[in-house]
Amino acid sequence: MRCFFLIAAVLDFRGRKAGVLMSKNSYWLIIAIAGLGWVISSRISAGPSALADAGSSLKGEVKFEGTPPKGTRIDMSADPLCAKTHPTPITTEDVVVGASGGLANVVVYVSDGLTSRNFQPPQEAAVFTQKGCQYKPHVLAMQANQKLEVVNDDETTHNIHPSPANNREWNMTQPHGAPLEQTFAREEIAIPVKCNVHPWMRGYIAVFKHPYFAVTDKDGKFEVKDLPPGTYTISAWQEKLGTQTQKITIGTGESKSLDFSFKQ
Amino acid sequence: MRIVSWKKTGMHLLMLGTLLAFVQTAHAIPAFARKYGLPCSACHEAWPMLNNFGQTFKDNGYQLGNGRDAPIYQEPSYWPIMFRATPFWHRENNNRQAVDVVAGNPSSGQVESSVTSSGFDLSGVDLITAGTIYNNISFFVQPFIGSNSITLSQAWARLDNLAGSRWLNLKMGKFELDEPISQERQLILNNTGGVYYNYFFTPPGDKNFFQGIGLPQLGVELLGHSGDDSTRYSVAVVSNSNGQTGLPSNQAYDVYANFNQSFETPWFGRQQVGAYGYVGESPTFFQTSGGSPIPGTGMGNRSFYRLGAYGHWFVNKFDFYTFYLHGSDNVFLGNGVAANQPSSLPIGAVGPVWNGGFIEGHYNPTPRLIFTGRYELNRMSRQANPGIRADSGNLDSWTIGYRWYPIMSPRAGLAWTQEYSRVTNAGAAPLSGKDDTHDSYLMGFDFDF
Amino acid sequence: MHTIRLSHLAVVLVSLMSMTASAQESHIDKLTGNAKHGKALYQRYCIFCHGTDGDGRGESAPYLNPKPRDFTKAVFKCRSTPSGSLPLDSDLYDTITRGIHASGMPSWKPLLKQERADLVAYIKTFSSSFQEEKPGEPVVIPAEPPSSPESVKRGADLFQSMNCWACHGKDGRGHGPSAATLTDNQGNPITPFDFTSGRSFKCGETDRDMFRDLVTGLDGTPMPSFVGAMSADQRWDVVHYIRTLSDSKKHSVAKNDASGQ
Repeated sequence: MRCFFLIAAVLDFRGRKAGVLMSKNSYWLIIAIAGLGWVISSRISAGPSALADAGSSLKGEVKFEGTPPKGTRIDMSADPLCAKTHPTPITTEDVVVGASGGLANVVVYVSDGLTSRNFQPPQEAAVFTQKGCQYKPHVLAMQANQKLEVVNDDETTHNIHPSPANNREWNMTQPHGAPLEQTFAREEIAIPVKCNVHPWMRGYIAVFKHPYFAVTDKDGKFEVKDLPPGTYTISAWQEKLGTQTQKITIGTGESKSLDFSFKQ
Repeated sequence: MRIVSWKKTGMHLLMLGTLLAFVQTAHAIPAFARKYGLPCSACHEAWPMLNNFGQTFKDNGYQLGNGRDAPIYQEPSYWPIMFRATPFWHRENNNRQAVDVVAGNPSSGQVESSVTSSGFDLSGVDLITAGTIYNNISFFVQPFIGSNSITLSQAWARLDNLAGSRWLNLKMGKFELDEPISQERQLILNNTGGVYYNYFFTPPGDKNFFQGIGLPQLGVELLGHSGDDSTRYSVAVVSNSNGQTGLPSNQAYDVYANFNQSFETPWFGRQQVGAYGYVGESPTFFQTSGGSPIPGTGMGNRSFYRLGAYGHWFVNKFDFYTFYLHGSDNVFLGNGVAANQPSSLPIGAVGPVWNGGFIEGHYNPTPRLIFTGRYELNRMSRQANPGIRADSGNLDSWTIGYRWYPIMSPRAGLAWTQEYSRVTNAGAAPLSGKDDTHDSYLMGFDFDF
Repeated sequence: MHTIRLSHLAVVLVSLMSMTASAQESHIDKLTGNAKHGKALYQRYCIFCHGTDGDGRGESAPYLNPKPRDFTKAVFKCRSTPSGSLPLDSDLYDTITRGIHASGMPSWKPLLKQERADLVAYIKTFSSSFQEEKPGEPVVIPAEPPSSPESVKRGADLFQSMNCWACHGKDGRGHGPSAATLTDNQGNPITPFDFTSGRSFKCGETDRDMFRDLVTGLDGTPMPSFVGAMSADQRWDVVHYIRTLSDSKKHSVAKNDASGQ
């Protein structure tokens, strides 16, 4: 709304520079402002459905080259309620490679090419669960201002403590079953999340302004649906191995395939 | 008479410019700032002058009260010691001094002449170690290293916050009295303006052992203050010795008290008012042995007092002290006559009475620059005997100066100062009985490490 | 001759004012602080720890532990607003007045009330968050029920089930199993509070302050908010239990206590 005033001020200034402000000039001024306001407001309410094209699909696989690193064993003995959920100790999840070399937990997203407009966040909440004293999913991707629902499925009490660089930092304790809802207002790839009570717990939440993202599954596979036609830069972010980018052009209703490959 | 020549001004500016070219932040260390990481300007309006935060810190026993005060929380390498040295250039002038007509020939007669001297000089080094020995036990030791002697300016220990109360703090040793404005921490260094005359004034003909409230005294002091130092009181009981050890005077005790209250006013900030008084007894003669007085056996004690009121006013970046003193010495003290020989008093002898005061203003645009101006005066209202000129002892003194602090960090401090002071003593010219004027010009550095 | 449309002028003025007004001022009770005055005060008192840019990188900062607050992040420990929210002006004012115990932040009570309000106004200018967001609703602290052995026992059980011991240790000394891994939001190691020390807490020393800390959490540190985790009565129970961990009579909150170790 601020730019509305600014534009009015600029038009006013120009009008005054031209000489005495005649009533005819101010009539055109009002029309111009109204027209501008209509255009702005119509853009604000535009959702992806107004301009997206149903049916396009960007699929692919993210692979890990070379021998997958062994995770470090996690010792949960400090909290017996955690230890008993894993009779065999689990390992850290910073690089998780599937049976056929697929790299899990990679966030694939559009980083450039979308004309800037506002996307409404989806109504359903993104869910981040604490189970077995681990975060599930290990990496969550969601939209800015989308509801984040945090669930504690463990008997023990956790605190959930994101450490954002571009969003407000908060830190909430959550006993078993207690509801917790939060949100992130700004795009950030990605926010590390920890639990101070259980220091081995580590997760990430990637927050996007737009809905064109996906997280690779345990086989490294992803699909980004309903991308509008255009040329885009697609990025793939992994918590330890960094970010890679590729350019792609996708047409109306087209299915395209895109692969990424990370190595140590 | 010349104040500062334009040539000199140009030279000073050149020196200033050269100094600026070489300024860089230091990483060496002075005491309290280093201990807490605060800058000098947090406690000092412009060091050495304290602001309210610094005065509160001092009244608290050099403790911030944040749980980090006791030495046990400091690194072992931290040592609460600092030194202060002031090398400077100055020019002194006395406009009516008795001088032999022919230099080297005392029988050639004398005339009154203007006498000038100038050159580089050094103030000596103040070595100060101060702080806390433990929670609520503070100390302050200040030897002064002069050119050929070391004297102990102050040395005291203090039990702070007795019974957990900030209204009870007991100081013992040799200490500066809780003066309205501190003589030790004033901003002017030169010979003429570097003293508050009212703190040291003795009337003409007066032989009072007491030399003024400006000298550190030996005794005990009870001080109390509110949490933000808006209310303060101080009561000291001291020996009548001017701070000299070895019991030189009598066996009586003098009392000094000071009380002040400050208010926060809308728009203008803090304003403070206060009142003080020093009441004592000085000896008028001593027991003798073989005609020589035996120190400490002072007898024939006669009383004297100094009392007055003051204010500290703030307007934006200006602040002013207004100070008033009323002094009175007993007739025997005023005429230097032993109390056991009243017949030796001159006819018409009375106790001298005088009134004095000063107004000192500061302009402090940034924490690194302060301008000072002062006007001080003293007027005798009653001389000790009719033989003394009515205006003898009257004086007027003016001072102007500034201090600039190019380096001010929690590690070290450096000030550049220029100041000019002048004092006129009524009728003090030795031959003509005219007014005698001294003036001093000083410029130099003040190092604080 | 130009005809200046009052409406247009008003529009420009109003938009300018709305952009600048709240950022340059603070409001605490009847006081209005001004950031321009606060800047001069900041340069006298605060700059060597908190830095010229308010980022906590003053000249003394490398030698201080804990590190001075980075105002540019607008994350503050001592607030009366929910976790993740900006503090109220009065929260910043209280922190300046009280200082933070066992840290380099002294109590600035000797400064005038107006001066402290001016400092709050200036500190808010270091982060654009104060212009873009509003602080959350302040915590309502209900009346404290009296302590009792039952309340203390319930508090002890909650200390266990809420996993307070994981950081603060079973004895409350601050050496729980997680303690060595804890860092603040700048990545510096941070130790949990030692409840046995009898020291003042960081954000005030009364039971009400402790209750409030449990609700708001100490943002920027590992200490979370327990607002959804416990009811008000349960929080009072925890407060009562924690009081028993230290010999609190030794360090009662006497008005005259100047040095409070």
